[in-house]
Formats: sequence, structure tokens, C-alpha cells
Amino acid sequence: MKILEVNALVKDFGGLRAIDTLDLVIEQGQILGLIGPNGAGKSTAFNCIAGVYPPSKGDIIFSGKKINGWKPWNLCKNGLARTFQIVKPFSSKSVLYNVMVGSFVNTDKKDVAEEKALKVLNSLHFEDKKDIKAGNLTIADRKRLEIARALATEPKLLLLDEVMAGLRPAEIDELVQIIQNLRDSGITIFLIEHIMRAIMALSDRIVVIHFGKKIAEGIPEKVASDENVIKAYLGDEYVVS
Amino acid sequence: MTHQNIKKFSLALVGIIAFVLPLVLRSPTYLHILVLLYFYAYLTTSWNLVGGFAGVLPLGHAAFVGIGAYTSTILFLQYGISPWIGMIVGSILATIVGVLIGLPTLKMRGAYFALATIAFSEGVRVMIENIDFLGPFKLNGPRGLLIPPLNTGLANFLFVGKEPYYYIILIMLIMALAFTYFISRSKLGYYLNAGGEEPEAAMALGVNVARAKLIAMAMSCFLTALAGTFYAQFTLYIHPRSIISLDLSFEIAFIALIGGRGSIAGPVLGALLLRPVSDFSRIYFGATLPGLHLVIFGVVLVLVMIYQPRGLQEPLTRAFNKLLDRFAVKTTMEDKK
Ligand SMILES: Nc1ncnc2c1ncn2[C@@H]1O[C@H](COP(=O)(O)OP(=O)(O)OP(=O)(O)O)[C@@H](O)[C@H]1O
Ligand SMILES: [Mg+2]
Repeated sequence: MKILEVNALVKDFGGLRAIDTLDLVIEQGQILGLIGPNGAGKSTAFNCIAGVYPPSKGDIIFSGKKINGWKPWNLCKNGLARTFQIVKPFSSKSVLYNVMVGSFVNTDKKDVAEEKALKVLNSLHFEDKKDIKAGNLTIADRKRLEIARALATEPKLLLLDEVMAGLRPAEIDELVQIIQNLRDSGITIFLIEHIMRAIMALSDRIVVIHFGKKIAEGIPEKVASDENVIKAYLGDEYVVS
Repeated sequence: MTHQNIKKFSLALVGIIAFVLPLVLRSPTYLHILVLLYFYAYLTTSWNLVGGFAGVLPLGHAAFVGIGAYTSTILFLQYGISPWIGMIVGSILATIVGVLIGLPTLKMRGAYFALATIAFSEGVRVMIENIDFLGPFKLNGPRGLLIPPLNTGLANFLFVGKEPYYYIILIMLIMALAFTYFISRSKLGYYLNAGGEEPEAAMALGVNVARAKLIAMAMSCFLTALAGTFYAQFTLYIHPRSIISLDLSFEIAFIALIGGRGSIAGPVLGALLLRPVSDFSRIYFGATLPGLHLVIFGVVLVLVMIYQPRGLQEPLTRAFNKLLDRFAVKTTMEDKK
């Protein structure tokens, strides 16, 4: 079953076409990787799907419903959660407080929200930091907090925007494991990542975009050896034919 | 004794002191100063719901004080309706106006929202100054309204001494504080804080930030207008410049920012620190240097913003907790003996 379908999506910023007739499909329970050079339009695609920007053209269908123009908070309530590439913690509040903001989506009761938040923190091996102010966390922990908050909303589909950037190898391995566990628990994952080792290991399929256009798609091995992809990343002159 | 118990105990102690204070302090001047101190603490606490928790900076709350004061006073003078009832009517009216103002303005960023609220409140003042009759209602333009101190008693919210006013505003303050405490620990409190600090992240987590802010605005306006009626009954004379002044709006914001915006104790601490400055500068320099208190506030605000951007409640809470630690350690050691 398709959980997300993007049909001929276009997003223009003034004269700049950040997304150009992009098609995407994610099957329930899959991990889809999205890669592309800097400025390719990956985060913009996420922002359109998560309701931050209305699409200029095209359709976005989530769980069988057309969600063009839906607001982020309504999408979240319907099971679509996301993290931000540039982390946005509620800095003056504790880790637990941050996560509880997410877990309040499905309850009005504080103790229920707290219990749910603690469960999420436990599953991410994060519970020992629950009373630390989010503003005092290391970058690795801030990324983890982004994931924790999103998970607390109990999503069906989770969009992760470069959650591994800036992490040390050991931290990356841990996060890869965590994401695998999430998929095993039934959450569908859409992942933007520059760290090839991680995205190759995790993704069922990978979509590559360049200047807002899809230039390749398929299983990781196929995409990695795709000529267009190599060109896009390294520039034409590096291609050895 | 545990920390929690000591905290509860000190809070109860402060409460008891506040309640017995008028028995000890017989001077009407001091009582008057205290009444105004609580009045400002109450106003700032009400302001804090939107100005503190929701992270915007309203600078026109005097308008809602005015709406409360004028509504209950007109109903009382022209129709003989008890100010207690007028108080509620005024607050409902203020809430409606607050929501109507909030709908377009709460989406604005920082300074624009502040400016919009100033413009609104000045608009209300100028309007009232230029209207003698609004339909059947006598506003009496710039001359204002005088409440004759006849038929005193609880039903008419009119008292001979200052003590009843003291207790009324004290109870109002305690209730407003309890209400803020309750809100800050509720879902709405979490949503307001989140939306104030990182609106984009909050929205992604399911928070309708604009709606949360609007609810906070409605509650804040309701509470603020209640104080308007209190002020009218206490001073027995209201006019546009006394009650819908930017001075009042600014003083509320000063108290909040210096005391600690978004905290529960902040508005009370701020009022405790700033009201005496305001009163004494008026008593001693009122004739020679009017407005001196605002200059002093400005200087204090700059210093506080540089050294304690989260307000004075933060270092004070920290100091209090340290004191508690010491105290708790000592008592547990004695318990063991
Ligand atoms: N809000 C905006 N207004 C105008 N232009 C924008 C906006 N957001 C993104 N862009 C532009 O759209 C293009 C795509 O940006 P986007 O952030 O989606 O790239 P990205 O693939 O996520 O890159 P990176 O790997 O660096 O995160 C860039 O040229 C960027 O400057
Ligand atoms: Mg990006």
C-alpha cells in the first residue's frame, strides 16, 4: 500500500524552481532515501509534504487523502511527522518538556503525555538526559531530540532531514540502528542524508534529485553506479567513460 | 523537611503575612501603595498569559483595563447594576475585543505586534476622549466618570476604608496566580511556550500556534478587564488618560520584563521591586521630575536585559533553592540525630 504519493510536484520561489515536476511513491513500511547535491531541493520537498509551503503545482497524497494546502499541525495529527535539518529545540525547556509537546498530540492529560514521552526517551536511550535544558545539549543530542519529539506524535510516516549530519561515526552507527528499529516497529521512513554509508545501509530504494528534478531512482546499488548520479555529484569533468 | 514542603511552607507564610498585614499596617498611605502594588502584580500576571507564555509583546493592555472600568461604571451609574455584575460584562466585552484584535495581529512578528497593540489602545483612548455619548451610554469624553461614594457596602463594591479593597485585590491576585500556575502546567501552557519559542517546530509537532495564542489572548483580556472595574471602584474616578494610558501599558511590560516574563513569580517580583520606585519617585519628585520612574525603569530594564535576560526571578529562584539545599541538609542531619 502506498502511504505517500507525490505527483508532478512543482515548487517555485519567485523565479527559482526549487522542485521541478517531481514524482515519488513510498510504500508502507519502507525506507525511502532522498539524496542530491547541496541546494538540490531536498528540504524543500520535505517542506511541501509537511505542509510548510503549499505546492505551486502537483498533488501530494498521504494515506489516500490529498493533502495539498493542509497545515503542518493537521498533518501531524494525521500521522505525518518530520525533523528539521537546522534543529529547532525549545531551548529554554528540558528535554522531557520538548518531547511532551509532541506527545500532547494524542492526549489532553499531562501525565499521559509525560508517560508517552518517557517511553520514547527510553527507546532512544535518552532518558538519562530528560532534565537537561535542550539549549545545553550537544549537536548529536539535539538531532536525537528532533527524532524523539517527532516520534512522540506517534507518526505513521516520519520525514528525517539529515539527522546524521555532524555526528561521529559511532553516533551514526547508533542512529542507523535506531532507524532500523523504527522501521521494524512499523513506521515508514523518508530519509534525506548526505552520509552515503548510512543511506546505502538503510534505504530500500533511493531517489536522487538535482536542481529539483529526479535524475535517478532505484535500489541503492543501482543508484550508486548510475552515471547521472556520479555526474551530478562530481561534475561532468570527473566522469571517466 | 523536604524541599517541596519547605516551599509550600514559605508560600503559606507569605500568604499569611499578606493577609494579616492590614492589621499591623494601619497607615492608609501604605495600604494604598500596597493595593496598587497588588493591582499591578495582578495586571502583569494577566498580561503574562499572552505576553509571557505566548512570547509576544502586547503594549496596549491598558485598553482592556479601560473597557472593564468603563463598562462596569456606566452600568453602575446609569442603570444601578452592581459593579460585580458589570465586572463580568466588561470582561466578556474585553475578551471579544481582544479576540478581534488578536485575530489579525497575533500572526505579526515581534515589533509589529507591539506597535499594532499600541495603536489599538491609543485609538480606544482617543475615541473615548472624543465621545460624550455612545448611543445611550454616557462616556463623558475627556472629563471622565465620577463614582459618588454613596451606599457603600459589598453589593455596590464601595467601601469606606482601604482594607476591603486590599483583600479584594489580594484575592484576585492569588486567583490569577493559581490560574497561571494551572495553565502553565496544562497542554495549553506547553503549546504556548513551544509556539512562542520555535513556532515552526511547534507547528510540526501538532500545535496550532495561532489558535493557542488567541486563547491566551482571550483569557488575558478577560482577567485584565476585571482589574479595570476594581480600579474604578477603588479610585472612584476614571478618565481616558488615567486608565487607557500608554504609561500603564508600558509599566506592565516593564514589570514583566524585569521580574521575569513567562514565569509565575516574575510579575509579583517585578511589582515588588518597581512599584515602590514608582510611588516614591512620584511622592518626592512628582512635581520637579514627573516621569522619573519611567526613566529609572528604563535604566533598570537595560541592566536586567544585559545581565539577566530572563528576568530577576531566575537568580532569585536559584538563590532561594540554594538556601533550601542548605536548610534541607541541616534539618535532615538533625533528624538523623
Ligand atoms: N524559503 C525559500 N525562499 C527562497 N528560496 C528558497 C527557500 N527555501 C529554499 N530555497 C532555495 O531552493 C533551493 C533548494 O533548497 P533546499 O534547501 O531544498 O536544498 P537541499 O537539497 O535541502 O540542500 P542541502 O543539502 O544544502 O540541505 C535552493 O536554491 C535554496 O536557496
Ligand atoms: Mg536541506
